[in-house]
Amino acid sequence: MILTIWKKEVESYFSSPLAYVLIGLFSLISGVIFFNLLVTYSDGILAIPAHLAQEISFVDEVVVKLFANINFLFLFFIPLITMKSFSEEKKQQTLDVYWLGGVSEWKLVLAKNFAALTLILAMILMTCVYPLVIWGVGIRDVSILGASYLSIILNASAYISLGIFCSTLTHNQIIAALLAILGIMGMWMITWGSHLHSNYVLAEIFAYIGISSHFERVLRGLIGTQDIIYYLSFIFLFNFMAIKSLGKRNW
Amino acid sequence: MDKILVVDSVSKEYPGRVAVKNVSFSVKSGSIHGFLGPNGAGKSTTMRMIAGLLPVSSGRIELNGRPIEEQEISKLIGMLPENPPLYLDMTVRDYIKYVARLHQQNDINSRVDKILSDLSLQEVSHRLIGNLSKGYKQRVGLAQALVYDAPFIILDEPTNGLDPQSVVELREFIKKLSLQKTILFSTHILSEVEQLCDEITIIHKGEVKASGPMDEIRRIFKKGLTLSIGVSSGQKLPDLSPFGDVHAQLVSQDSVEDTYQLIFSSEEDVRKELGRYFYEKGVDLLTLGLEAPELEDIFLQMTEKQ
Repeated sequence: MILTIWKKEVESYFSSPLAYVLIGLFSLISGVIFFNLLVTYSDGILAIPAHLAQEISFVDEVVVKLFANINFLFLFFIPLITMKSFSEEKKQQTLDVYWLGGVSEWKLVLAKNFAALTLILAMILMTCVYPLVIWGVGIRDVSILGASYLSIILNASAYISLGIFCSTLTHNQIIAALLAILGIMGMWMITWGSHLHSNYVLAEIFAYIGISSHFERVLRGLIGTQDIIYYLSFIFLFNFMAIKSLGKRNW
Repeated sequence: MDKILVVDSVSKEYPGRVAVKNVSFSVKSGSIHGFLGPNGAGKSTTMRMIAGLLPVSSGRIELNGRPIEEQEISKLIGMLPENPPLYLDMTVRDYIKYVARLHQQNDINSRVDKILSDLSLQEVSHRLIGNLSKGYKQRVGLAQALVYDAPFIILDEPTNGLDPQSVVELREFIKKLSLQKTILFSTHILSEVEQLCDEITIIHKGEVKASGPMDEIRRIFKKGLTLSIGVSSGQKLPDLSPFGDVHAQLVSQDSVEDTYQLIFSSEEDVRKELGRYFYEKGVDLLTLGLEAPELEDIFLQMTEKQ
């Protein structure tokens, strides 16, 4: 059942020009960012004495910054992808097809998550030329690249669950997208609370709730159990809320 | 005939509003049951509760003698909601296939072919639903309700907004469909019910006003004996006071005959006495017929009471 809905959703994404525009735009912007980071890095190395140049880490200056920027791009791209997931169905009153078919809310929500993730993976696939370049300059550390990709895939999955939840709240796609953007920004801003010096416990709680600290750890290959638990509970929570929000039809 | 559906004291309450109040009626297996009411009477709410799209606030709905919550109603009920759930960016064939897959059907291709042919949709099967006319869209909506071959079909105002030709075609299709399935069919068009239905339920402001076979409803709501009589053209009606309070109205006139409708206060059949009386008074009685009250009269009578 999930597979049937996933297939239909993916076909629906790729039958509209939006998917191609988003993939093209994403490739262009991330390409420009990668090029700029490379140029800045090589200019920096040439500008300083050779023994100091070794201190500048390619991973820190290019890889980490590239993926952090991709994470920033997701702030806009993912809400644009998830905005119509449910709001359009609500507007066109097409959800009856699923309820009449005995499809449960969770199967539908999961299928929509997987479909949006498929489109994101197609976008990420476009960035695969960068690792080839990175490989070419001699960084042959698969774990760093693996961690980088894992970090943005985890973040994308989390943002997708948030975006899909937002789209269950309204009939209006634009409002759904704006809510998702605000939601993602909110998850970033919570991390600022970790700079609270007056209360250590509260600062730790903010650091855990905010997504940024987990993203950074995974990006640098320092993934721990707490990060896995964090991402799983984030995705579970927003999908659970989406299911509950769809269940409002039961009121 | 057995009862396939029993709706027993069903209510639906929203905060601050009661949409449907203590609705009870039953649908016989193999019948076309008309669900009649003005707009906003609670028809759609009741139908959505029967289809399991809305939970009831109180009461009980049974299908084939068992509560609907205990059954896999996605296999038993096919529904065309008031707004057909159509994906405008899919082709007709893909969409019907998709619905069949959601209902976990086998032989999907042959099922889809059959339903497309039954509803004369083959010629548009590769077109996007969004580009079709309203009549075709309604047929696609009907196809999604029928593709998984459920024995009980709910049609919520299926002819609403269609052109006269499409309405006639759809009614013909519904009649044919009733040979194999039980149909619950809502409308606010009275002539439609008279043409199609064996039984009706009249709902108004969320409450059932009458329910049962069409003839029975007519009988119950008959105010008194209603006769149609014809007398020779130009002749006056005699004094009808021996028959109690009688309301006489000239309905039509031609060169031969003047036709009157007589409504008596009592239900007693006085046709014989009336014939003799007219003969005694020297009035030529050319025709004398018993009139069943029109559904429209019943409907107006009931909804105007409010």
